[in-house]
Amino acid sequence: MNQRYFREWTVAGAFGLLMLSLLIFAPHFFQGQPLLSRVTSQMPALLAAIGITLVIVSRQIDISVGAQFSLCAVIAGLTASAGLPLGVAIGAAVGAGALMGALNGWLVAYLGLPSIVVTLATMVTWQEALRLWQQGRLIGLPDGVQWFGLGQASGQMLVIGFTAGVLIFSAWGMRNLAAGRFVYATGTDAEAARLAGIDPKRTTFGVFVLMGVLAGLAAVLNLVQSAQIQPNSGDGLELKIIAAAVVGGVAIQGGRGTLWGVLPGMLLLANVNPALTHFHQPPYWEKAIQGMVILLAVVADGLRTRKSSN
Amino acid sequence: MTATRGKFTQIVARHESVLLLVIVFEVVLFSMLGRNFLSESNVSNIFRHSVEIGLLALVMTPVILTGGIDLSVGSLVGLCAVVFGILVKESGMSPLAAGMIAVALGTFGGAMNAGLITRLKLPPLIVTLGTFSLFRGLAEAFTKGSESYSGFSDSFLALGNGSVAGLPTQLWIFFAVAAGVWVLVHRTTLGRSFRAIGYAPEGARYAGIPVERNISLAYVLSGAVAGLAAVILVARLGEARANAGVGYELLAITAVVLGGTSIFGGSGTIAGTLLGYLAVALLNNGLGRIISYKIFDQPVSSVARELSGMLTGLLLLGALAATVLAKSLATRRARAQTSPNPKPQTNP
Repeated sequence: MNQRYFREWTVAGAFGLLMLSLLIFAPHFFQGQPLLSRVTSQMPALLAAIGITLVIVSRQIDISVGAQFSLCAVIAGLTASAGLPLGVAIGAAVGAGALMGALNGWLVAYLGLPSIVVTLATMVTWQEALRLWQQGRLIGLPDGVQWFGLGQASGQMLVIGFTAGVLIFSAWGMRNLAAGRFVYATGTDAEAARLAGIDPKRTTFGVFVLMGVLAGLAAVLNLVQSAQIQPNSGDGLELKIIAAAVVGGVAIQGGRGTLWGVLPGMLLLANVNPALTHFHQPPYWEKAIQGMVILLAVVADGLRTRKSSN
Repeated sequence: MTATRGKFTQIVARHESVLLLVIVFEVVLFSMLGRNFLSESNVSNIFRHSVEIGLLALVMTPVILTGGIDLSVGSLVGLCAVVFGILVKESGMSPLAAGMIAVALGTFGGAMNAGLITRLKLPPLIVTLGTFSLFRGLAEAFTKGSESYSGFSDSFLALGNGSVAGLPTQLWIFFAVAAGVWVLVHRTTLGRSFRAIGYAPEGARYAGIPVERNISLAYVLSGAVAGLAAVILVARLGEARANAGVGYELLAITAVVLGGTSIFGGSGTIAGTLLGYLAVALLNNGLGRIISYKIFDQPVSSVARELSGMLTGLLLLGALAATVLAKSLATRRARAQTSPNPKPQTNP
């Protein structure tokens, strides 16, 4: 048991160490309101990380998440600033995400194309289409959008509560729902899953749609945290969440990983940049550190599988 | 009847023929809509501005032939460009020596990918995604996020902006690399082994091919040429900065896949890659020449980068879908006509 969740515990331990050293050397990291804002601002990425976990467990990858996120945010922002109610804006964002996810899912599941190339292509298509359409314009949001019109304190609680709810439900569902087991089975061995009566194509398609829906929801949770939205709000999100999943012990070969590893993985990586600031280190090392952490996690996986196969 | 139709579909389904049509279509379209598209200076610009992508596409071909992928080349271009800039401007090194170090650094980056992929048996996708982030991150860290290096000597800048015998200087380097890669892929046992490995890695191993070593060579070559492309890019732009080569991996992969190389590995040609590169390069340049048409209230030429990026993505998706649909159509027809024993698919 201990061996089985070794990775989850290691990551949680690393995150604990980072927090502990911050507590000792930079205690102002833990000031109430800034800390709460920081946690709230990390929730959208966590929501997207749930989606990418499902995608990777089913032995696929989706690098168009960031582009989907940006496009959903712009669609929601434009809908809201056109005077339509917030519910419609949320629906538009989620719908757009579901459609983009469905396109990826169709190409990957039913045409059998490799997800890396498909999502590379859709990523650049959405990203450039968005640039073409918006030319980098900021979208000002009307009153009543920020914090869902509830005020900051309750808005933050709603964002954190919603994300926690989705996280707990997904973690439970991946373990206990038939659909959750289908994802693991498809990722472990699609052919065996098919022989066992699971439809791996439908499962893969569903996973990509869910990824799109979560990207849309994440975009909304990000949108409500500010008074205006940039058209490139999702840039680099895909790397952040893939890194979180890989660091959290989700096997890139599919079939293995839990959200209880991804959560500390996400928190660890998301706090690299704030931690650098609080340790008075220059922030431009963030991406390099991110890359090194991904590679370290991957190398650890490789060494472990090599040891177990010998 | 069936025989002629079979032959006809064979010719049409050959990527090179379809691609030639696309290229002819692009040339006709852009020379009608664009300003001075076929003028001598623009034709040499088409190549001058895209040689780096052509170089990366050439060496991406062996990598994809083995069934792998290298997402890190664009970032490696950025890292090598920045290191080159630092060596020349801060350490006062000669461009030649710094260029050699940049190529060595690229080789080292490729070797790092190769080592992780073959020694630890990790999927190329995740390894190169990690180095994609690492190399770009190092480039940003070395330039403290915003510094750039410029003011190189004229003799060095001539590499990117001068001409030799009427052609852009860097085009000659491209020809040399293209010839070398063509010989490697089509005229050596090593090149043949790339396809064998991509088609069936286990089979290749049983046939006595040193699979790990040969895969490593493909990634090392990719890294070395990324270093070379970085030097050429700096010479053309006159500036080395951390965002050099952003998105080049996509353009290179697009050129290779458009050129008919199977993304699952095992089949493909350098000639196809060259045509694929030409199609991408024409699109990039041609859209920038269209001044009299507007899209979203902007002249096409001013949003050419976004538009061509979007179309490149769609083109890649279309090419992929077309390959798969053509293949499944062919299998279905073959199954209906002859034996009830279809060839197993090699999809992972």
